[in-house]
Amino acid sequence: MELFLAEHKKMWKKRSTRICALLCFAYIFIAVNILSFQWISFGSYKDGFGNHFDGYSQIRNKQAYGEKWKGELTDQVLQQMIKDYQRMLKNEEMDSVWAADWSNINNWLRTLYPELMAKNSYELMIDYIDPYQITGFYERRQEKIGEFLDNNGQTGDEKAFLLQMNSKVKIPFSYEWSEGWNFILCAVIPNTETVIEIFIAIVLSTIFAGEWHDNTSTFILTTKKGWRELAYAKIWTGISFVFEMFLVLLLGNIVTQIFFLGTHGWNMPVQFIKMLAVAPLNMLQTEVYQYIYILFGAIGFAGEIMLVSSIVKNNFISVLIGIALLYLPSVISGYLPMWAQKGLDLLPLAGDSLDIFRTNTFHIFGKYVWSPYLLIAVPVLIGVLCMPFTVKCWSRRLRD
Amino acid sequence: MELLIDRLTKQYGSKIAVDCVNAKFTPGVYGLLGANGAGKTTLMRMLCAILEATSGEVMLDGNNIIEMGGDYRNLLGYLPQNFGYYPNYTTREFLLYIATLKGIPKKIARQRTEEMLENVGLSDVASKKIRTFSGGMKQRIGIAQAMLNHPQILILDEPTAGLDPKERVRLRNILSEYANDKIIILSTHIVSDIEAIADQVLIMKNGNFIQCGTVSELTDKAKGKVWELRVSQSDAGRWLATANVASYRHEKADIILRIVSENKPSEAAVLCEASLEDIYLYYFPTKEGEE
Repeated sequence: MELFLAEHKKMWKKRSTRICALLCFAYIFIAVNILSFQWISFGSYKDGFGNHFDGYSQIRNKQAYGEKWKGELTDQVLQQMIKDYQRMLKNEEMDSVWAADWSNINNWLRTLYPELMAKNSYELMIDYIDPYQITGFYERRQEKIGEFLDNNGQTGDEKAFLLQMNSKVKIPFSYEWSEGWNFILCAVIPNTETVIEIFIAIVLSTIFAGEWHDNTSTFILTTKKGWRELAYAKIWTGISFVFEMFLVLLLGNIVTQIFFLGTHGWNMPVQFIKMLAVAPLNMLQTEVYQYIYILFGAIGFAGEIMLVSSIVKNNFISVLIGIALLYLPSVISGYLPMWAQKGLDLLPLAGDSLDIFRTNTFHIFGKYVWSPYLLIAVPVLIGVLCMPFTVKCWSRRLRD
Repeated sequence: MELLIDRLTKQYGSKIAVDCVNAKFTPGVYGLLGANGAGKTTLMRMLCAILEATSGEVMLDGNNIIEMGGDYRNLLGYLPQNFGYYPNYTTREFLLYIATLKGIPKKIARQRTEEMLENVGLSDVASKKIRTFSGGMKQRIGIAQAMLNHPQILILDEPTAGLDPKERVRLRNILSEYANDKIIILSTHIVSDIEAIADQVLIMKNGNFIQCGTVSELTDKAKGKVWELRVSQSDAGRWLATANVASYRHEKADIILRIVSENKPSEAAVLCEASLEDIYLYYFPTKEGEE
């Protein structure tokens, strides 16, 4: 324990660690959260260019407008929402237009009623569509899921598996304003993933390799605790760093989320974000999944990075390999067959937490497994498997 | 306590760094003398169980040190030749970190750290970052870390490198005080340090011990082989090129050469008292790095 604490202190004493942690927090807390909520994503449009710095009050307006339609989402409700939006647009009540959930509704229309889309029109579908043509919303959704799976080549047992999953989605949907959750699940959390992985690569790639940089291997080898206990202490330090960074970012995200959005709409179905999603989950469950995906992926990635750090004796090369481990899979993925692409997705943080909205599956031992399950389980296993090799490589390289 | 080296050999490809050496160390100070590449550092690394021997073994009281593992390392203090450190650490933080690596309980570690800082004269700068230190100060931290666990076996590779004369004297005194019932093995190029501290001197050449003994035993061996010769400035160059000249000094218009040679180098040469430095030059007549 003492050795772990000493090693942990050593890591945090490095200037690079402190700078990385600060930048990471500043970017996520200030840029991704506060500025986006208050200005970039939710600030009202300026007449000329850009947005006003009034996201907080705009979100309140949107939530208040959404309250008007709160409850079961039926064909009639949807028609009324579209009609109301078109009326506001016609009367140029721009503040009210801005408050409406037009972006999400427009996406639903494009997905479920593509035949009603005007050709060569730059207008939003919700602007011109006849609301009374929007009928059979849930039947349409069911039909489009079937078509989507067929087009994906997901037929037979796989299709049955996914449709079975979809049958658990609670219908009719319970409507509330969903744009805020869309922003959390599709922008804030994926951004958090991008940031945490880069800083883990930078900080942990020097955890073992840094000892060569500091030329300290000889006295490590001659102390009572020796290389083995130090290696374990370093591994625990790496994992604790992942937890610390994760908790700092999670805390920053949750605080701003509660401040700007509150808990409003936590139990809405994720289908409001992607209408053809088959996951029988609500927004909060999806958010929990995405954070687990980041945490487990980050632990797995930390395992990989520490292995690299124990093999490579140069800090810079170690960082480069770490970054390559992150981005190389997505770069080469496009040139590979589908099964290989899916395999690469299982590497820590190489996949995507947004798979929760998709219909990707893995066929293992004759059974279909929905990809999000494997995307959280396999990366952490890879990281854990790397650890004994890290200790072994570290000992071998120390004696070189 | 007895540290025994038994037919210890280290081979790198076709190069033999340490060639089947035998030695027995009991409590006392041992000075290891030899030119660069003589095998001193390789031997020391094997004594520290960092480097695996190609053949042979090192035994402490009959136990193989590799098999002893942590128990042996607990008795060991080592100052490597190129001592590394963490630049962001203060001296105190660094020593406390090393104390943790050495498994010293926290309370004792704090006490020992202050004690060692005092011993090596770094108490005043204990809170300063190591990266701001001079080479000599860093070397003193290295010595402090090696002695932090009060080791029974202390191995110091070039401990006086970078130290000024005053610091060297301080180190000699620390080691002399510490030696009591411990085995101290140190290597250095500064022969006067060995002369001042070592009870026994081992001269290494080409991976072998070529001479062992006390300083007086070794200097006795050089008796009758050290000469002083007064030459003119114009002749000095010729003598420097052909003879094994230990030192030379100007005296008025002439130069006094100190020559180590089996035979009288010139009729004018006068026999003089031998020192350990002369012995060194006797066995290593070529310049450093030529071997």
